Amino acid sequence: MATALFKSSRRAKGLLWTAGAALCAGGTAVILLLIMGYVVVQGIGALSWSFITHLPHPIGIPDGGVANGIVGTLIIVGIAAVIAFPIGILLGIYVGVYGHRHTANAIRFCADVLASVPSITIGVFAYALLVAPFKHFSAMSASFAFAILMVPLIVRTTEGAIRMVPIEMREAAVALGATDFQAMARCTLIAARPGIVTGLLLALARVTGETAPLLFTAFGSQFWELNPNNPMAELSLQIFTYAISPYREWHEQAWGGALILILAVFVLSLAARLALRRQPSANA
Amino acid sequence: MSVTTNAGTPAPMPGSASGTASESAAMGGDAPPRIAIRNLDFFYGANRALKGVTLDLPDRTVTGMIGPSGCGKSTLLRCLNRMYDLYPGQRATGQVLLEGRDIIGGDIGVDELRSRVGMVFQKPTPFPMSIYDNVAFGVRLHERLSKAELDQRVEWSLTRAALWGEVKDRLATPATGLSGGQQQRLCIARTIAVRPEVILLDEPTSALDPISTLKIEELIDELKVDFTIAIVTHNMQQAARCADQVAFFYLGELIEVGPAGQIFTAPREPRTREYITGRFG
Repeated sequence: MATALFKSSRRAKGLLWTAGAALCAGGTAVILLLIMGYVVVQGIGALSWSFITHLPHPIGIPDGGVANGIVGTLIIVGIAAVIAFPIGILLGIYVGVYGHRHTANAIRFCADVLASVPSITIGVFAYALLVAPFKHFSAMSASFAFAILMVPLIVRTTEGAIRMVPIEMREAAVALGATDFQAMARCTLIAARPGIVTGLLLALARVTGETAPLLFTAFGSQFWELNPNNPMAELSLQIFTYAISPYREWHEQAWGGALILILAVFVLSLAARLALRRQPSANA
Repeated sequence: MSVTTNAGTPAPMPGSASGTASESAAMGGDAPPRIAIRNLDFFYGANRALKGVTLDLPDRTVTGMIGPSGCGKSTLLRCLNRMYDLYPGQRATGQVLLEGRDIIGGDIGVDELRSRVGMVFQKPTPFPMSIYDNVAFGVRLHERLSKAELDQRVEWSLTRAALWGEVKDRLATPATGLSGGQQQRLCIARTIAVRPEVILLDEPTSALDPISTLKIEELIDELKVDFTIAIVTHNMQQAARCADQVAFFYLGELIEVGPAGQIFTAPREPRTREYITGRFG
């Protein structure tokens, strides 16, 4: 009797928790779908060939686009990646391999703190360092701010990927006569590569959606601008500018831009998942 | 085929191995040991893990090292190829002589040492590359071989490791696709491909199923024709089956060493007797 009661109460608890977890999971998925669905519904009307190939037009002139914003985003994020990837990966390797040392602990701590600094603060920092002294806005300063945002993310994901590789693999390579560097470069890093690539893509996705640091660095532009030393248009910045404008036309374009941005981030996240899945893990 | 003739040759390294043997014959005994450990101490920081160990590894025999966890047997193995070099804070004092040259004192460069003393670990660790490249990995570090020579070496190693038949049609596929037992035999093939004189096995079967374990044990029996082998094991039946000579360690000390038959039937030390009869450990 008591056993039966105990068993049924255990079952009830199990059901309760399962239902709770399912509810939360479903809720999250629904919110995501709502956001994406709403952006698609609102933005699909603005999407057209001219929207992605034309420059912004003044209010009243039809067929304006965000071509310069798309190109600007690619340039700014691209330069940021060139700066942040090597620094982040090398630091991540150091922390992952020599994790027990004091310097590694310090780096890990700095990365964690840096990762939680509001992005607008980092924008101000970039402004003070690269905009104010030169007396003009520039895409370069935006890339710098983005790089600062990316480095801590990359450090931690690279470290995690390296730590997933069993230490025995490094020892096995060394036991065959490899130097520590060869063991690292040819075995551990290769085994960790899917995880590292995933981290890079997620870092890219993260900054692609950033707006705050751009406000006083890239600043935005109405023109074709390919020189990173000048102010440059950027997609999320254009969305911001259009969205707070009083014009209906620009609101529609803001939705269109948001749709492009959300698609880009979606594709990056998907690529990250694929990169992680493609290669069998080291200890599969 | 050429492989069979290769595998049939008794010594993998006829030149350098036997050439210097006579020089160290002065060390006593009928045949000089391949490795002579003399008064070896090992420290993890301030913690002394080995206490004055003196032990000979006779040429082309299997030495089994047994003892409870933490007794220092794996530590001893890691001294023989200076694996501890990777970790600051770990150090050894005393002598480990490979044909009269001191490993601990650095008479032999780490590069040469590791081409002469190979090691297989507890956990199979295939590198993230093809089966072929796994076996060729160590060879490429030490030798410049033509494609044909390398092909031949890979085939020879895989044959010696009793794996060739199972993988010869998929040498280019990732090694991670092999089963656990195959992976461990691949690790053995990878080790013998460098043609070492000594092979260190650190609990090579503790992660494997009984059938794979049996295969590895048979392999050890075949390999001792050419190689000097030291095997650390927690499995006393395994030590009894594989080893010619057995060394019992306890708390960092070598308690007793002798022929396997004697250790398991008539141990001299009470602690050995207690351990092998399962009273502790």
